[in-house]
Amino acid sequence: MNYQFDFHFLTGNWGLLWDGLKVTLELALISNVVGVVLGFGLCLLTLSRWFFIRWPAQLFIEFFRCTPALLQIVWFFYCVPMLFDVFIGPITMGVLALGLNLTAFNAEAYRAGVQAVPREHLDACVALGLRPWQRTLYVILPQALRTALPVLMTNGISILQQSALVAIVAVADLMYVGKSIATEAYRPLETYSLIALIYLALSLPIAQFVQWLERRQDSAMAR
Amino acid sequence: MQIDFMVVFSYWQVLAKGLALTLAFTVTCAILGSLGGFFLSLLRLSKNRFVSVPTGLYVELFRGTPLLIQLFWIFFCLPVVFGISVPPFVSVALALTLYMTAITSETFRGALKSIPSEQHDACVALGVARWNKVLYVIFPQALLRAVPPLLSNVVSLFKESALISSVGIADLMFVGQNISNSTARPVEFLTAVAVIYFLVAFPLTRLVGVVESRMLRRYAY
Repeated sequence: MNYQFDFHFLTGNWGLLWDGLKVTLELALISNVVGVVLGFGLCLLTLSRWFFIRWPAQLFIEFFRCTPALLQIVWFFYCVPMLFDVFIGPITMGVLALGLNLTAFNAEAYRAGVQAVPREHLDACVALGLRPWQRTLYVILPQALRTALPVLMTNGISILQQSALVAIVAVADLMYVGKSIATEAYRPLETYSLIALIYLALSLPIAQFVQWLERRQDSAMAR
Repeated sequence: MQIDFMVVFSYWQVLAKGLALTLAFTVTCAILGSLGGFFLSLLRLSKNRFVSVPTGLYVELFRGTPLLIQLFWIFFCLPVVFGISVPPFVSVALALTLYMTAITSETFRGALKSIPSEQHDACVALGVARWNKVLYVIFPQALLRAVPPLLSNVVSLFKESALISSVGIADLMFVGQNISNSTARPVEFLTAVAVIYFLVAFPLTRLVGVVESRMLRRYAY
């Protein structure tokens, strides 16, 4: 291997990379908020007593889980404006696609937590005369959130990585900026390595935190 | 706007070819990646730090970066680094295999770790030699436990393989996008492609559940 690394071309491009990073973070963070909130709602829908609520919710989850994220993103960008005759900004659209994808995955993550709430707690809610929404919000949600947290965070990291896919539909995120710099400067090796390291630096601390959290939960269970 | 899904059927041969290529990549890389992942998980559990640390690093690197970057890196940078020309099919298959290796190694590691410590103790009590313990006690159980998550890894590989369209491999995603662009009918074709992906992946995910519950009943762990 006799390749001369040269990072000089980057000096004029830091601003671009920073802008790209901001778009990536924006996409990932907002999608996570959407996914964490809607995921819980969707999870409750799949546990509904009525078939006509349960079934569409389940179909939504399965559809998002069984098709490629890239396809979902491309589909949203091409088909939503055509079908509904609306124009939505690229970042909003990206958040919509990624957020709904995450919603489906998070609903699945919450499910185990919601089902793990002991029967006695629900009985206690009846005994205390809590309304259904109070039961959901104050009894089920905190417990489900606690159990599901490691998976929710892992899903969050994976949405950060999936957010790179919006580069394919020309949203100027980190990946897209990197791609255009690489083509402009004829320096794919340096640029792609740098971008990869940035993504790694973003997701590694969260992944480590999740591992710590899991260990803590395991030891709490063992006690 | 008129939506007419009948158009899709006149392109079924092209779509079928794309699907065949997607499946070929998925199957090849799933097999190679599972084998690689198995050996990597063994290396990661090694007591020698010079073995376990670099393999851990490899796994973190591939799990912590988007597959799209890995794909681009291998596609554009490998030829530059080594000064050789790599055919696109090979570099794409390499990227998917390396990715699969990283995620399955985690699966196998989880399965190896899930063997209760009592079994290790029992082996000591019975005086089972170290390699016999690994071969006859640990592996059979760990491999069985790894089957359901391994299947879900294959499903995610199948979905992630759509990314290879971005470097111009004519898989199902690429074909679908191409037709939708040339016929200006994205709604019909992209939806059809989504349905095709779904029809392949959904039964596989159901299979995971079936295998899991069956093994639970049979081995009751």
